[in-house]
Amino acid sequence: MKALAIARINLIRHFKDPGIVFQTFLLPVLIVVLLGATSGAGTAQVGFVADQSDSLIAELRAALAASDTFDLAEYGTADEAVRAVERGELQGALIVPGGYEATLRGGGNVTLEFVGRTDEQIGGVGTIVDSVVKQQATLLRAARFAEDRGLATFQTALETAEGMQSTLPPVQVEVSMAGEPWKLAELGRFDLWSQNMLVLFMFLTTLQGASAIVASRRLGVTQRMLSTPTTARTVIVGEGTSRLVVALIQGAFVLLGTWLVFDVSWGDPLTALIIVVAFAAVASGAAMLLGALAKSDQQAGSIALAGGLVLAALGGAMYPLAVMELLSDTVYRVAHVTPHAWALEAFEELTAFGGGLVDVAPFLGVLALYALVFYALAVWRLKAVMRRTAHG
Amino acid sequence: MRIAWAIAINDLKQRLRDRSAYIVGLVAPLGLAVVFGFVLAPAQNFEVDAKIGVVDLDRGPVAELFVEGTLAQQPNVELVRIDSVDAAMALVDTEVTPFSADEDIAHAVIVIPAGFSDDVQSDRPVVMEVIANETSDVEAGMAVAMTQGFASEMSSVRVAVATVEEVMQQPVDRLATGAEVLITESPAAVVDVTASTKQLAPVTYAAAGMAVFFVFFTVQFGVTSILQERHDGTLARLLVAPIPKWVILAGKSISAFVVGVVSVAVLVVATTFLLDAEWGPVVGVGALIVAAVVAAMGIVALVGSFAKTAEQAGGLATMLGVVLGFLGGTFFDVSQAGGWLADARFVAPHAWFLRGLADLSAGDAAVVVVPVLAMLAFGLVTGAIGMVMLRKGLRP
Repeated sequence: MKALAIARINLIRHFKDPGIVFQTFLLPVLIVVLLGATSGAGTAQVGFVADQSDSLIAELRAALAASDTFDLAEYGTADEAVRAVERGELQGALIVPGGYEATLRGGGNVTLEFVGRTDEQIGGVGTIVDSVVKQQATLLRAARFAEDRGLATFQTALETAEGMQSTLPPVQVEVSMAGEPWKLAELGRFDLWSQNMLVLFMFLTTLQGASAIVASRRLGVTQRMLSTPTTARTVIVGEGTSRLVVALIQGAFVLLGTWLVFDVSWGDPLTALIIVVAFAAVASGAAMLLGALAKSDQQAGSIALAGGLVLAALGGAMYPLAVMELLSDTVYRVAHVTPHAWALEAFEELTAFGGGLVDVAPFLGVLALYALVFYALAVWRLKAVMRRTAHG
Repeated sequence: MRIAWAIAINDLKQRLRDRSAYIVGLVAPLGLAVVFGFVLAPAQNFEVDAKIGVVDLDRGPVAELFVEGTLAQQPNVELVRIDSVDAAMALVDTEVTPFSADEDIAHAVIVIPAGFSDDVQSDRPVVMEVIANETSDVEAGMAVAMTQGFASEMSSVRVAVATVEEVMQQPVDRLATGAEVLITESPAAVVDVTASTKQLAPVTYAAAGMAVFFVFFTVQFGVTSILQERHDGTLARLLVAPIPKWVILAGKSISAFVVGVVSVAVLVVATTFLLDAEWGPVVGVGALIVAAVVAAMGIVALVGSFAKTAEQAGGLATMLGVVLGFLGGTFFDVSQAGGWLADARFVAPHAWFLRGLADLSAGDAAVVVVPVLAMLAFGLVTGAIGMVMLRKGLRP
């Protein structure tokens, strides 16, 4: 019972801090909104720069604008468009030289310039832009060919070619789909980020609670508790309970909040909750361990901030775990050093693959192991520290 | 001013002894930059290899041109020639893992219909078929793009040959003429000049993002130490000494500024050597760093003037630092989000810092003027309000 009283006081202290309240409840949801909005605007932007609006340019613009891979954005000058690409605002830009139509009709050749992103990963917009331009060049090339053979003037040949094109059906490509879509690509735009932020913030916020443990020790609160007929075990259970409850409250809040607000699918709710419980145990264990090891509450706070973010980044809570798995075995394996990766795997199994408690059991087992090790180490260190404090 | 320096130096000495300052100022940002570098690297060097099946039911010259002359010549494409559509379907209509290429799968299958070569040389409609595996949309996209490219090439050749026949008013050898059309240079061509642009490498972006994100935490002690000194009673002693209040504030500001600039500078050097981050010319980067530190100090001063204790000030400043940091794109680049978000990020000095760095990599040092001014304005406005209020509140 005493342990519960200690936990209760800790919780009251914890939630008195407006910063903590903000970080526990609002921040994760805010970031999900931010990232959801970012990934929602999925269509790439491609800049289009053309000096004058002659009919050929108008056709080109219309053909490019018809693409569903990207949205076309007009830019006044090549410099502006290139800068926007360099800044990462555009995925690419097509720069049409001045006098486009006049040059072509006059028998000259024109070169259009394309700039793309160097960090563009896969499936470039460059190829699409290229093929659209080629398509338009169809008539021009036909006219040029006839002209080169001395059969007609460019203008006559172009008119003839236009006539021919309207009567000849184009060679068509029919695309059909087979197989199954990738399960993870089916997740909604807020789903993945909700899982990631749940894991990131549960661990981070809980770990930051370690500074409260250190503060109690440093301020002599622990010592006073121990001078009453209270065992070290009770104090440790009390501290642990409060950290666990903090983690659970945040986890449950993010789970519920994202489900209610963004309709995020968490799969089987009971299993999702069990994953939250398991991860809360890991996070609170880590907080206890840090609380036992850190020398000052400032130190605990900064290690918590650094560690919480680094582990999240490594464990796939910032850069998706599923993408790591596809691109690099090494990165994917290293990610599993963190408990984050195991929790995320469990959520992935639950949401994308419709798994149940049995399917996520292996991941829960690993999380339980983490929790056990963290708690065991923490209790061992805390007992030693408290014994010293009690006698000192 | 000498007293301000003395206060600053005393604060700096304390900082040097404080291990948590190193964690927030150096270990955390560097650690995160290293992790991002590690995690992002595979995507940078990743090459997509497509396994594409082709069923040639035509076996004519035009089909051969496509299969052997186009498909077989593509880099990153493994071409599998298959006899029947059924056999091809078995390969493509299956559940696969993205970017994997097992023995018995194909990312896409291209079907060239019987009579294709003849039909292309006629004015009959021609349809090529691509069956794409849903999971392998990237590789299948390559197959679709290649097929569409060839189809539009053939359309073009058809029009050219028809034009020739029309103006000559007599039929020609369509296959031979078509071959000549194919080698006629297209009057309008696209060249990719991406290489001439200068863009921030992802690892540089990550390093810069972390540097500016954490500087908002590093400089916090300037204000929190005032509150801490009040709590500890040392502020009362400073105040009874014949020192103007502004000198105390100046001393605190100097030390915060120095720690901020030094920690970012160390990060710049460390990430340059450890991660091959390319920050750009020293003058421009230096101006951006100074402005970012001022911005961070300003917001911390403002927040700190509301707080009663050092913990409260730290908590509030951290809260704002995190929100502005995320909004400003330090963790996730929001510049392609478009719409309100792409504009809203410029509320955060972080966004200006990253924008300045991106522009700097492409242009000369002058391009940082606007970002630097934006950050300075942010820092000076928030800082001025904060300082006035802090000065008022400067009592034992």
